[in-house]
Amino acid sequence: MLARSTLRLAAQPPALGAAPAGARNMATLREIELRLKSVRNIEKITKSMKMIASTKLNKAQRAMQAGKQYGVANSEVFQHAPAEDPAKRKLFIVISSDKGLCGGIHSSVTKATRRIFADTESSVESDSPIMVIGDKSKAQLSRALGKNLVMSFNQIGRDIPTFADAAGVADLIIKSDVKYDSIAIVYNKFVSAISYESAVMEVETEEALKNSPGFKAYEMEEEVTKDLAEFALANAVYAALVEGHACEQSARRNAMDNASKNASDMIGKLQMQYNRGRQASITNELVDIITGASAL
Amino acid sequence: MSVGSCDRLTLELIAADGLQVAMSALRLVSSAARRAPRSFATGRRGYAEAADKIKLSLVLPHQAIFTSTEVVQVNLPAATGDMGILANHVPTIEPLRAGVVEVLEPGNAAKKWFVSGGFATVHPNNMLTINAVEAAPLEDFSAEAVRANLQEAQRVAGGNGSEEDKMEARVEADVYEAIQHALSAR
Repeated sequence: MLARSTLRLAAQPPALGAAPAGARNMATLREIELRLKSVRNIEKITKSMKMIASTKLNKAQRAMQAGKQYGVANSEVFQHAPAEDPAKRKLFIVISSDKGLCGGIHSSVTKATRRIFADTESSVESDSPIMVIGDKSKAQLSRALGKNLVMSFNQIGRDIPTFADAAGVADLIIKSDVKYDSIAIVYNKFVSAISYESAVMEVETEEALKNSPGFKAYEMEEEVTKDLAEFALANAVYAALVEGHACEQSARRNAMDNASKNASDMIGKLQMQYNRGRQASITNELVDIITGASAL
Repeated sequence: MSVGSCDRLTLELIAADGLQVAMSALRLVSSAARRAPRSFATGRRGYAEAADKIKLSLVLPHQAIFTSTEVVQVNLPAATGDMGILANHVPTIEPLRAGVVEVLEPGNAAKKWFVSGGFATVHPNNMLTINAVEAAPLEDFSAEAVRANLQEAQRVAGGNGSEEDKMEARVEADVYEAIQHALSAR
């Protein structure tokens, strides 16, 4: 008597229904078995994705170091020649990527962009154009600020971004007829291997540079300013792309690491459940046999 | 001016005049010797006596060759002509054509890189930033490959492709010719 009631109590926690007969236990056991197999597969996949992201992260970090120096040297001119009046019509370039499973990378940049637009103190016009690199952010932004989306780019960021990618993007931006007073690049800044944060990089246009008082200190030929502005835009896009890529790899590694940990926790719990269920069904059968035998 | 010759000078002074003059001369000279670099490459067209340096940042997208390193002189292939940048140069912005950038570091021999193009900016705070798209030391180029690629580019430039392709090929041919010129001038 006591044994059966304790058995029933033990069968309750799995919440798969108190199984009075051995047959029901076998079915739920099979369910647990199936679940175990699928979670084990998931754990293998997430572990291998974590390994891949780790190796990619090393390469990406090295490229990011060089790219950051490149961006710093590029923005030196803008520090000496800041724009006179704050820009009213800013072109936002949102840097993200096409692939998922990387934690909050895409929503981080999207949220930062939405915050800038929602901030009533900033002098940004509400119909400022937005260009997006990366399908994931494009999907998020088209829901929030859909009417501001002007152009989008994809298939960038599959591997470490090259200067050719950035130059192509800058070329298309310049060739388009979008009007803007200055450019703000929204990207993810690499803080450490386990954290990142969204940041904005400002790039001045040709007119802003020409009107800046600090810029007049520089000696140059006449037409150089336009080339300088275009080159500076390509450089800034490259620096942001390469840093965003490194952030994405680190976020993916952390996300897959967490997923593997969760999966192995789940495997442990399911295994316990399975063992308990198996022992319960065996004990049930034994009890049946024994009571049957003792009734004879 | 090395310290050895200073000692000789002071010995002569001791012999000629009084001890006091020699002692002050020795103090002055040894402090000057401490300030100036011990070795100075002779035979170099150096207008800066290695005392004034300019901070150079020569960066490529995939590699930072110099980051705020103090150098004596930088020779650039600007689009308007070759120019040399010394310390406290007037702020300038120059687009670079395909050519050789030569960097003179204090104490070391000059190093040369062939750059494909970019921008060189001298800032008001005695800083020179060069953003180049591609650069490589001259030793890394193979004359054979350059010659073969130059022929290919000239063929495309003279062929019957689209106007864009022909212009790209012409730019390519210019770059290869510049490399050949740089390699032969080495």
